[in-house]
Amino acid sequence: MTVDLVARCQAGDVEAFETLYRQYSARIYTLASRMAGSAEDGEDLLQEIFLQAYRKLGSFNGDSALGTWLYRLALNHCLDYVRSRQAKMNKLTETLDAETSFRPTARRETPIARLDLERAVERLPEGCREAFVLHDVEGFGHKEVADLLGIAEGTSKSQVFKARLKLRAFLRGT
Amino acid sequence: MHPNDTTLNDYVDGSLGTIEQSSVDQHLATCASCQQIVADLRDILRTAGELVLREPPIRSWSRLERAITMEPAVRRQTTGASSSPAEAGRYGSYRTWLAAAAALVLATAVGIRYMPLGRSDAPSTSSGGAAAAITADATAQSVESELRQAEGHYENAIRGLEAIANSERSELDPRTAATLQKNLAVIDQAISESRAAVRSQPASDPAQQSLIEGFKNKIGLLQDTVALINEMRKGNEAGAARIASGLKQKGT
Repeated sequence: MTVDLVARCQAGDVEAFETLYRQYSARIYTLASRMAGSAEDGEDLLQEIFLQAYRKLGSFNGDSALGTWLYRLALNHCLDYVRSRQAKMNKLTETLDAETSFRPTARRETPIARLDLERAVERLPEGCREAFVLHDVEGFGHKEVADLLGIAEGTSKSQVFKARLKLRAFLRGT
Repeated sequence: MHPNDTTLNDYVDGSLGTIEQSSVDQHLATCASCQQIVADLRDILRTAGELVLREPPIRSWSRLERAITMEPAVRRQTTGASSSPAEAGRYGSYRTWLAAAAALVLATAVGIRYMPLGRSDAPSTSSGGAAAAITADATAQSVESELRQAEGHYENAIRGLEAIANSERSELDPRTAATLQKNLAVIDQAISESRAAVRSQPASDPAQQSLIEGFKNKIGLLQDTVALINEMRKGNEAGAARIASGLKQKGT
Protein backbone atom coordinates (compact mmCIF):
# COMPACT_ATOMS: atom_id res chain seq x y z
CA MET A 1 0.00 0.00 0.00
CA THR A 2 2.87 2.41 0.77
CA VAL A 3 4.45 1.72 -2.62
CA ASP A 4 1.16 2.54 -4.34
CA LEU A 5 0.64 5.64 -2.18
CA VAL A 6 4.12 6.96 -2.95
CA ALA A 7 3.69 6.29 -6.64
CA ARG A 8 0.42 8.19 -6.67
CA CYS A 9 1.95 11.08 -4.71
CA GLN A 10 4.91 11.18 -7.08
CA ALA A 11 2.44 11.38 -9.95
CA GLY A 12 0.90 14.47 -8.36
CA ASP A 13 -2.23 12.87 -6.91
CA VAL A 14 -3.41 15.37 -4.30
CA GLU A 15 -5.78 12.90 -2.67
CA ALA A 16 -2.91 10.48 -2.19
CA PHE A 17 -0.82 13.24 -0.70
CA GLU A 18 -3.63 14.06 1.70
CA THR A 19 -3.56 10.43 2.84
CA LEU A 20 0.16 10.79 3.45
CA TYR A 21 -0.46 14.03 5.33
CA ARG A 22 -3.16 12.49 7.54
CA GLN A 23 -0.84 9.63 8.39
CA TYR A 24 2.21 11.64 9.38
CA SER A 25 1.14 15.21 10.15
CA ALA A 26 0.73 14.70 13.90
CA ARG A 27 4.25 13.27 14.22
CA ILE A 28 5.79 16.07 12.16
CA TYR A 29 3.74 18.84 13.79
CA THR A 30 4.68 17.57 17.24
CA LEU A 31 8.38 17.56 16.41
CA ALA A 32 8.22 20.99 14.77
CA SER A 33 6.27 22.62 17.61
CA ARG A 34 8.63 21.31 20.25
CA MET A 35 11.77 22.23 18.36
CA ALA A 36 10.47 25.70 17.53
CA GLY A 37 9.07 26.24 21.01
CA SER A 38 5.61 27.33 19.90
CA ALA A 39 2.50 25.85 18.30
CA GLU A 40 2.25 28.71 15.82
CA ASP A 41 5.78 28.32 14.51
CA GLY A 42 5.20 24.59 14.52
CA GLU A 43 2.20 25.05 12.24
CA ASP A 44 4.19 27.18 9.81
CA LEU A 45 7.02 24.66 9.82
CA LEU A 46 4.52 21.85 9.21
CA GLN A 47 3.35 23.62 6.07
CA GLU A 48 6.88 24.17 4.80
CA ILE A 49 7.93 20.61 5.54
CA PHE A 50 5.03 19.00 3.72
CA LEU A 51 5.40 21.38 0.81
CA GLN A 52 9.06 20.42 0.62
CA ALA A 53 8.06 16.76 0.83
CA TYR A 54 5.61 17.26 -2.03
CA ARG A 55 8.38 18.74 -4.16
CA LYS A 56 10.96 16.11 -3.22
CA LEU A 57 8.85 12.97 -3.33
CA GLY A 58 10.16 12.36 -6.81
CA SER A 59 13.56 11.70 -5.25
CA PHE A 60 12.27 9.16 -2.70
CA ASN A 61 13.72 5.84 -3.84
CA GLY A 62 12.48 3.51 -1.09
CA ASP A 63 15.89 3.06 0.57
CA SER A 64 14.19 3.86 3.86
CA ALA A 65 10.62 3.68 5.06
CA LEU A 66 8.51 6.62 3.91
CA GLY A 67 7.88 7.73 7.49
CA THR A 68 11.62 7.71 8.21
CA TRP A 69 12.34 9.71 5.06
CA LEU A 70 9.69 12.24 6.00
CA TYR A 71 10.90 12.45 9.60
CA ARG A 72 14.50 13.13 8.51
CA LEU A 73 13.31 15.81 6.11
CA ALA A 74 11.29 17.39 8.91
CA LEU A 75 14.14 17.18 11.39
CA ASN A 76 16.59 18.81 8.98
CA HIS A 77 14.12 21.56 8.24
CA CYS A 78 13.53 22.20 11.95
CA LEU A 79 17.27 22.31 12.59
CA ASP A 80 17.78 24.79 9.76
CA TYR A 81 15.06 26.94 11.25
CA VAL A 82 16.56 26.79 14.72
CA ARG A 83 20.06 27.59 13.45
CA SER A 84 18.82 30.50 11.42
CA ARG A 85 16.85 31.91 14.33
CA GLN A 86 19.78 31.47 16.71
CA ALA A 87 22.17 33.18 14.33
CA LYS A 88 19.84 36.15 13.99
CA MET A 89 18.79 36.53 17.56
CA ASN A 90 22.35 36.18 18.94
CA LYS A 91 21.16 34.29 21.92
CA LEU A 92 22.67 31.16 23.40
CA THR A 93 21.71 29.11 26.35
CA GLU A 94 21.84 31.09 29.54
CA THR A 95 24.61 30.05 31.84
CA LEU A 96 23.84 28.70 35.21
CA ASP A 97 26.56 30.66 36.96
CA ALA A 98 24.02 32.47 39.06
CA GLU A 99 22.10 29.31 39.78
CA THR A 100 24.00 27.21 42.23
CA SER A 101 22.77 24.11 43.87
CA PHE A 102 19.03 24.20 44.32
CA ARG A 103 17.73 22.11 47.12
CA PRO A 104 13.96 21.76 46.89
CA THR A 105 11.91 24.46 48.52
CA ALA A 106 8.66 22.56 48.23
CA ARG A 107 8.08 18.90 48.02
CA ARG A 108 6.14 17.99 44.90
CA GLU A 109 4.10 14.96 45.76
CA THR A 110 2.46 14.11 42.48
CA PRO A 111 4.14 13.06 39.22
CA ILE A 112 4.62 15.69 36.55
CA ALA A 113 1.64 16.18 34.27
CA ARG A 114 2.49 15.82 30.58
CA LEU A 115 0.83 19.11 29.76
CA ASP A 116 2.86 20.90 32.43
CA LEU A 117 6.04 19.49 30.98
CA GLU A 118 5.01 20.45 27.43
CA ARG A 119 4.43 24.02 28.54
CA ALA A 120 7.67 24.10 30.47
CA VAL A 121 9.62 22.81 27.45
CA GLU A 122 8.28 25.74 25.39
CA ARG A 123 9.82 28.08 27.95
CA LEU A 124 13.28 26.61 27.63
CA PRO A 125 15.88 28.85 26.03
CA GLU A 126 17.03 27.97 22.54
CA GLY A 127 20.02 25.73 22.54
CA CYS A 128 19.08 23.57 25.47
CA ARG A 129 15.48 23.13 24.28
CA GLU A 130 16.53 21.46 21.05
CA ALA A 131 19.03 19.23 22.83
CA PHE A 132 16.38 18.21 25.37
CA VAL A 133 13.76 17.51 22.73
CA LEU A 134 16.14 15.45 20.62
CA HIS A 135 17.62 13.49 23.53
CA ASP A 136 14.94 13.09 26.19
CA VAL A 137 11.83 13.27 24.00
CA GLU A 138 12.86 11.93 20.60
CA GLY A 139 15.36 9.46 22.04
CA PHE A 140 18.55 10.33 20.15
CA GLY A 141 21.85 9.56 21.86
CA HIS A 142 24.22 12.38 22.77
CA LYS A 143 26.51 11.62 19.86
CA GLU A 144 23.58 11.83 17.44
CA VAL A 145 22.32 15.03 19.07
CA ALA A 146 25.81 16.49 18.80
CA ASP A 147 26.00 15.61 15.10
CA LEU A 148 22.56 17.03 14.41
CA LEU A 149 23.15 20.27 16.27
CA GLY A 150 26.76 20.69 15.18
CA ILE A 151 28.11 20.70 18.73
CA ALA A 152 30.46 18.56 20.78
CA GLU A 153 29.08 15.52 22.55
CA GLY A 154 30.00 17.00 25.90
CA THR A 155 28.07 20.14 25.01
CA SER A 156 25.02 18.03 24.21
CA LYS A 157 25.22 16.46 27.67
CA SER A 158 25.55 19.80 29.39
CA GLN A 159 22.71 21.31 27.33
CA VAL A 160 20.38 18.46 28.26
CA PHE A 161 21.44 18.78 31.87
CA LYS A 162 20.74 22.51 31.87
CA ALA A 163 17.37 21.90 30.30
CA ARG A 164 16.40 19.38 32.96
CA LEU A 165 17.44 21.75 35.73
CA LYS A 166 15.44 24.60 34.21
CA LEU A 167 12.43 22.35 33.74
CA ARG A 168 12.71 21.29 37.34
CA ALA A 169 12.77 24.93 38.42
CA PHE A 170 9.80 25.80 36.18
CA LEU A 171 7.75 22.87 37.42
CA ARG A 172 8.47 23.67 41.03
CA GLY A 173 7.48 27.26 40.44
CA THR A 174 10.86 28.56 41.56
CA MET B 1 29.17 16.12 51.17
CA HIS B 2 26.49 16.32 48.45
CA PRO B 3 27.34 15.12 44.95
CA ASN B 4 27.19 18.02 42.52
CA ASP B 5 24.18 18.33 40.22
CA THR B 6 26.10 17.10 37.18
CA THR B 7 26.93 13.91 39.04
CA LEU B 8 23.32 13.44 40.06
CA ASN B 9 22.27 13.98 36.44
CA ASP B 10 24.75 11.38 35.24
CA TYR B 11 23.48 9.08 37.98
CA VAL B 12 19.97 9.42 36.61
CA ASP B 13 21.27 8.65 33.11
CA GLY B 14 23.12 5.61 34.40
CA SER B 15 26.39 6.88 33.00
CA LEU B 16 28.48 6.90 36.19
CA GLY B 17 31.23 4.36 36.75
CA THR B 18 30.61 1.58 39.24
CA ILE B 19 32.53 3.14 42.11
CA GLU B 20 31.00 6.56 41.65
CA GLN B 21 27.51 5.09 41.35
CA SER B 22 27.99 3.16 44.54
CA SER B 23 29.13 6.31 46.28
CA VAL B 24 26.02 8.19 45.16
CA ASP B 25 23.82 5.26 46.20
CA GLN B 26 25.25 5.45 49.68
CA HIS B 27 24.73 9.20 49.86
CA LEU B 28 21.15 8.98 48.64
CA ALA B 29 20.34 6.46 51.36
CA THR B 30 20.63 9.23 53.94
CA CYS B 31 20.05 12.52 52.06
CA ALA B 32 16.45 13.54 51.46
CA SER B 33 17.26 16.63 49.41
CA CYS B 34 19.46 14.76 46.93
CA GLN B 35 16.83 12.02 46.80
CA GLN B 36 14.34 14.71 45.76
CA ILE B 37 16.59 16.01 43.00
CA VAL B 38 17.09 12.51 41.63
CA ALA B 39 13.36 11.80 41.87
CA ASP B 40 12.54 15.03 40.03
CA LEU B 41 15.05 14.39 37.25
CA ARG B 42 13.77 10.84 36.83
CA ASP B 43 10.22 12.15 36.73
CA ILE B 44 11.14 14.63 33.99
CA LEU B 45 12.91 11.95 32.00
CA ARG B 46 10.03 9.51 32.33
CA THR B 47 7.38 12.07 31.42
CA ALA B 48 9.44 13.33 28.49
CA GLY B 49 9.41 9.84 27.08
CA GLU B 50 5.64 9.63 27.47
CA LEU B 51 4.68 12.89 25.78
CA VAL B 52 1.92 12.34 23.28
CA LEU B 53 1.54 13.47 19.71
CA ARG B 54 -0.26 16.74 19.03
CA GLU B 55 -2.77 17.13 16.24
CA PRO B 56 -2.18 20.08 13.94
CA PRO B 57 -4.96 22.67 13.55
CA ILE B 58 -7.83 21.60 11.31
CA ARG B 59 -7.09 24.39 8.84
CA SER B 60 -3.57 23.07 8.18
CA TRP B 61 -4.54 20.67 5.41
CA SER B 62 -6.63 23.32 3.63
CA ARG B 63 -3.69 25.72 3.71
CA LEU B 64 -1.35 23.07 2.40
CA GLU B 65 -3.75 21.93 -0.30
CA ARG B 66 -4.06 25.47 -1.54
CA ALA B 67 -0.27 25.88 -1.59
CA ILE B 68 0.11 22.62 -3.50
CA THR B 69 -2.26 23.79 -6.22
CA MET B 70 0.22 26.58 -6.86
CA GLU B 71 3.00 24.11 -7.58
CA PRO B 72 3.64 24.55 -11.27
CA ALA B 73 5.61 21.56 -12.44
CA VAL B 74 3.62 18.68 -10.98
CA ARG B 75 0.79 17.03 -12.88
CA ARG B 76 -2.06 17.18 -10.42
CA GLN B 77 -5.03 14.91 -10.38
CA THR B 78 -8.29 16.16 -8.95
CA THR B 79 -10.77 13.99 -7.15
CA GLY B 80 -12.92 11.52 -9.01
CA ALA B 81 -16.13 13.22 -7.92
CA SER B 82 -18.18 14.19 -10.92
CA SER B 83 -19.04 17.81 -11.50
CA SER B 84 -20.27 19.85 -14.40
CA PRO B 85 -17.65 21.59 -16.52
CA ALA B 86 -19.06 24.92 -15.32
CA GLU B 87 -18.70 23.92 -11.66
CA ALA B 88 -15.25 22.47 -12.29
CA GLY B 89 -14.20 25.69 -13.99
CA ARG B 90 -15.57 27.86 -11.22
CA TYR B 91 -14.04 25.66 -8.53
CA GLY B 92 -10.77 25.56 -10.45
CA SER B 93 -10.44 29.35 -10.61
CA TYR B 94 -11.55 29.58 -6.97
CA ARG B 95 -8.85 27.08 -5.96
CA THR B 96 -6.27 29.13 -7.84
CA TRP B 97 -7.44 32.22 -6.01
CA LEU B 98 -7.20 30.50 -2.62
CA ALA B 99 -3.83 29.04 -3.52
CA ALA B 100 -2.51 32.50 -4.31
CA ALA B 101 -3.63 33.70 -0.89
CA ALA B 102 -2.11 30.64 0.76
CA ALA B 103 1.22 31.19 -0.97
CA LEU B 104 1.14 34.82 0.10
CA VAL B 105 0.47 33.91 3.71
CA LEU B 106 3.10 31.15 3.70
CA ALA B 107 5.76 33.43 2.21
CA THR B 108 4.78 36.19 4.62
CA ALA B 109 4.95 33.88 7.61
CA VAL B 110 8.43 32.71 6.60
CA GLY B 111 9.60 36.27 6.04
CA ILE B 112 8.23 37.42 9.36
CA ARG B 113 9.53 34.44 11.30
CA TYR B 114 13.11 34.97 10.25
CA MET B 115 13.00 38.62 11.13
CA PRO B 116 14.44 39.42 14.55
CA LEU B 117 11.87 41.38 16.48
CA GLY B 118 14.15 43.34 18.71
CA ARG B 119 15.66 42.88 22.04
CA SER B 120 14.76 44.30 25.39
CA ASP B 121 18.37 44.35 26.51
CA ALA B 122 19.29 47.78 25.17
CA PRO B 123 22.15 49.12 27.25
CA SER B 124 21.29 51.34 30.16
CA THR B 125 22.36 54.96 29.82
CA SER B 126 23.57 54.91 33.40
CA SER B 127 26.42 52.58 32.62
CA GLY B 128 28.05 54.11 29.52
CA GLY B 129 27.28 57.79 29.19
CA ALA B 130 26.88 59.36 25.76
CA ALA B 131 28.14 56.36 23.78
CA ALA B 132 25.68 54.05 25.47
CA ALA B 133 22.86 56.54 24.88
CA ILE B 134 23.69 56.69 21.15
CA THR B 135 23.81 52.88 21.00
CA ALA B 136 20.49 52.64 22.82
CA ASP B 137 18.90 55.11 20.39
CA ALA B 138 20.24 53.21 17.38
CA THR B 139 18.94 49.93 18.82
CA ALA B 140 15.50 51.43 19.50
CA GLN B 141 15.31 52.83 15.97
CA SER B 142 16.42 49.53 14.48
CA VAL B 143 13.79 47.69 16.51
CA GLU B 144 11.08 50.15 15.42
CA SER B 145 12.11 49.75 11.81
CA GLU B 146 12.03 45.95 12.05
CA LEU B 147 8.64 46.04 13.71
CA ARG B 148 7.25 48.33 11.00
CA GLN B 149 8.51 45.93 8.34
CA ALA B 150 6.92 43.00 10.14
CA GLU B 151 3.69 44.97 10.48
CA GLY B 152 3.70 45.63 6.76
CA HIS B 153 4.11 41.94 5.96
CA TYR B 154 1.30 40.91 8.28
CA GLU B 155 -1.05 43.60 7.01
CA ASN B 156 -0.34 42.47 3.47
CA ALA B 157 -1.32 38.91 4.31
CA ILE B 158 -4.39 40.09 6.21
CA ARG B 159 -5.59 42.22 3.27
CA GLY B 160 -5.27 39.27 0.90
CA LEU B 161 -7.22 36.95 3.17
CA GLU B 162 -9.83 39.59 3.98
CA ALA B 163 -10.48 40.12 0.29
CA ILE B 164 -11.27 36.44 -0.17
CA ALA B 165 -13.22 36.04 3.05
CA ASN B 166 -15.33 39.15 2.47
CA SER B 167 -16.19 38.33 -1.10
CA GLU B 168 -17.28 34.77 -0.24
CA ARG B 169 -18.92 35.49 3.11
CA SER B 170 -22.39 34.96 1.66
CA GLU B 171 -21.54 31.23 1.67
CA LEU B 172 -21.66 31.29 5.47
CA ASP B 173 -24.79 30.97 7.54
CA PRO B 174 -25.73 34.16 9.44
CA ARG B 175 -24.80 32.78 12.89
CA THR B 176 -21.33 31.73 11.80
CA ALA B 177 -20.80 35.02 9.99
CA ALA B 178 -21.86 36.90 13.14
CA THR B 179 -19.45 34.84 15.28
CA LEU B 180 -16.62 35.58 12.88
CA GLN B 181 -17.43 39.27 12.91
CA LYS B 182 -17.45 39.32 16.70
CA ASN B 183 -14.12 37.46 16.93
CA LEU B 184 -12.54 39.79 14.41
CA ALA B 185 -13.72 42.82 16.36
CA VAL B 186 -12.11 41.48 19.55
CA ILE B 187 -8.81 40.84 17.77
CA ASP B 188 -8.87 44.25 16.06
CA GLN B 189 -9.38 45.87 19.44
CA ALA B 190 -6.41 43.95 20.85
CA ILE B 191 -4.25 44.99 17.88
CA SER B 192 -5.28 48.61 18.36
CA GLU B 193 -4.36 48.51 22.05
CA SER B 194 -1.05 46.81 21.32
CA ARG B 195 -0.23 49.46 18.69
CA ALA B 196 -0.87 52.17 21.26
CA ALA B 197 1.39 50.38 23.73
CA VAL B 198 4.18 50.08 21.16
CA ARG B 199 3.84 53.76 20.27
CA SER B 200 4.24 54.80 23.88
CA GLN B 201 6.98 52.25 24.62
CA PRO B 202 8.71 51.32 21.35
CA ALA B 203 11.44 49.26 23.06
CA SER B 204 9.03 47.21 25.13
CA ASP B 205 9.36 43.55 24.17
CA PRO B 206 5.98 42.55 25.66
CA ALA B 207 4.25 45.34 23.69
CA GLN B 208 5.91 44.23 20.45
CA GLN B 209 5.11 40.57 21.08
CA SER B 210 1.53 41.48 21.92
CA LEU B 211 1.16 43.31 18.61
CA ILE B 212 2.67 40.46 16.62
CA GLU B 213 0.46 38.00 18.51
CA GLY B 214 -2.58 40.07 17.51
CA PHE B 215 -1.60 39.92 13.84
CA LYS B 216 -1.02 36.17 14.03
CA ASN B 217 -4.42 35.68 15.68
CA LYS B 218 -6.11 37.70 12.96
CA ILE B 219 -4.36 35.75 10.22
CA GLY B 220 -5.30 32.49 11.93
CA LEU B 221 -8.95 33.51 12.13
CA LEU B 222 -9.05 34.60 8.48
CA GLN B 223 -7.37 31.37 7.44
CA ASP B 224 -10.02 29.43 9.35
CA THR B 225 -12.70 31.46 7.57
CA VAL B 226 -11.25 30.70 4.16
CA ALA B 227 -10.87 27.02 5.11
CA LEU B 228 -14.50 26.93 6.24
CA ILE B 229 -15.70 28.45 2.97
CA ASN B 230 -13.54 25.94 1.10
CA GLU B 231 -15.04 22.99 2.97
CA MET B 232 -18.55 24.24 2.36
CA ARG B 233 -17.89 24.64 -1.35
CA LYS B 234 -16.55 21.08 -1.50
CA GLY B 235 -19.69 19.91 0.22
CA ASN B 236 -17.70 18.54 3.16
CA GLU B 237 -20.23 19.17 5.92
CA ALA B 238 -18.27 17.33 8.58
CA GLY B 239 -15.12 19.33 7.90
CA ALA B 240 -17.07 22.58 7.81
CA ALA B 241 -18.80 21.74 11.10
CA ARG B 242 -15.44 21.06 12.79
CA ILE B 243 -14.02 24.38 11.68
CA ALA B 244 -17.20 26.28 12.59
CA SER B 245 -17.20 24.66 16.02
CA GLY B 246 -13.60 25.72 16.56
CA LEU B 247 -14.47 29.28 15.59
CA LYS B 248 -17.33 29.39 18.10
CA GLN B 249 -15.02 28.09 20.84
CA LYS B 250 -12.47 30.80 20.13
CA GLY B 251 -15.14 33.43 20.51
CA THR B 252 -16.22 32.30 24.01
